Amino acid sequence: MSGPLISRRKRILALASICAGVWIIAAIHPLDRQAWLLENILLVAFVGALCLTHRRLELSEASYLLLAAFVILHIIGAHYTYARMPLGLWAKDLFHLSRNHYDRVAHGAFGFLLAFPVREILLRFSGIRRGWSFWLAPAVILAVSGVFEIVESAVAEIVAPGQGVDWLGGQGDEWDAQNDMLSALIGSLLMMAATALSNFGKKAP
Amino acid sequence: MNPATARKIDIYFLPVAVASYLAFWIVLAIRPLDRGDWLLENLLIFISVGVLGFTYRKFQFSNFSYGLILMFLVLHTIGAHYTYAKVPAGFWLQEWLHLSRNHYDRVVHFAFGFVLLFPMREVLLRSAKAHAPWATWLAVTALAALSSFFEIVEAVVAQIVRPELGAAYLGTQGDIWDAQKDMAAALVGAVLTACWLSVGSQQRKRSTK
Repeated sequence: MSGPLISRRKRILALASICAGVWIIAAIHPLDRQAWLLENILLVAFVGALCLTHRRLELSEASYLLLAAFVILHIIGAHYTYARMPLGLWAKDLFHLSRNHYDRVAHGAFGFLLAFPVREILLRFSGIRRGWSFWLAPAVILAVSGVFEIVESAVAEIVAPGQGVDWLGGQGDEWDAQNDMLSALIGSLLMMAATALSNFGKKAP
Repeated sequence: MNPATARKIDIYFLPVAVASYLAFWIVLAIRPLDRGDWLLENLLIFISVGVLGFTYRKFQFSNFSYGLILMFLVLHTIGAHYTYAKVPAGFWLQEWLHLSRNHYDRVVHFAFGFVLLFPMREVLLRSAKAHAPWATWLAVTALAALSSFFEIVEAVVAQIVRPELGAAYLGTQGDIWDAQKDMAAALVGAVLTACWLSVGSQQRKRSTK
């Protein structure tokens, strides 16, 4: 496809610079510098992996757009230590929730936004059949969520032994890990359903 | 072993193995320590055996895989009989290693990854048509996902059945990181088998060169 005003390369660069701009603004005065640093380890690893694999993967622009959306959600969450994200506090007051659910939303967004690029990678490299890809992409999302919860618990035990769930992310919910994983799973299944519906009858994978 | 006996073993393996498992299951179904818990745990057996039965015509595992699956079901059947928390082997382990509690359930979570990786890889190779190295690591992923899914279901059941008891209700035995440790055990088990299979296939590649 040729003809659009700007090339694919420039569009992806523009996306990356938007993310970089948001990151710089959010890095200036985070509410808690230590929590911000911790959350950014994840971000640096993720973005680093994307940059290193960019040449080989050449994901679709839709995938890069979804990845950028997730990165921005995480940058905002990290700035506000997730628990004090204003939108979440606002929703808490409005719907009389027990706590700020922004992190739950981010977990759901993780599944929803990343299932599509994951499926794209699986289809392109692993050789699996199309029908299986709709189930294996959510499986990858759920497995990564599980590993994330394992790492989170290990970090919590090292940084604040004995405080358990209250220290990080749990916000006093004893089923926090399971509910986080569930929202990622639901998010990924929604995206797979949407992909299947929008590809229905087309030749698209 | 001559080819004729090998063929006989190949043909009779599955019926004999299933029949012996059934006998074992019946013996342990007679007087479980807690009938309600036994029923709940057996849902897993009914579902997995049902799925395997219904898909048998479309997809048959190798005998080796069926053997591994049955091995896992035996471990689970023992756990269900003793409500997991009271499995004698777990008490031996507890005394021997001076553990705080009966860790039989942790062992079974580990076995879930360790034992079921091979059958899972077989499905991904033969039915999903994944390339060989991808199949191995996607099998790890699928098992990690299933063990996360199991923890989710466990939590949802606990929240519906006994919300007031919370985490104390099912399986956690008082450990706040129980879910994470169970998932980690399954993951470690699956990764161990995956490494083993990968090293094996590399050696085979080298020897054929």
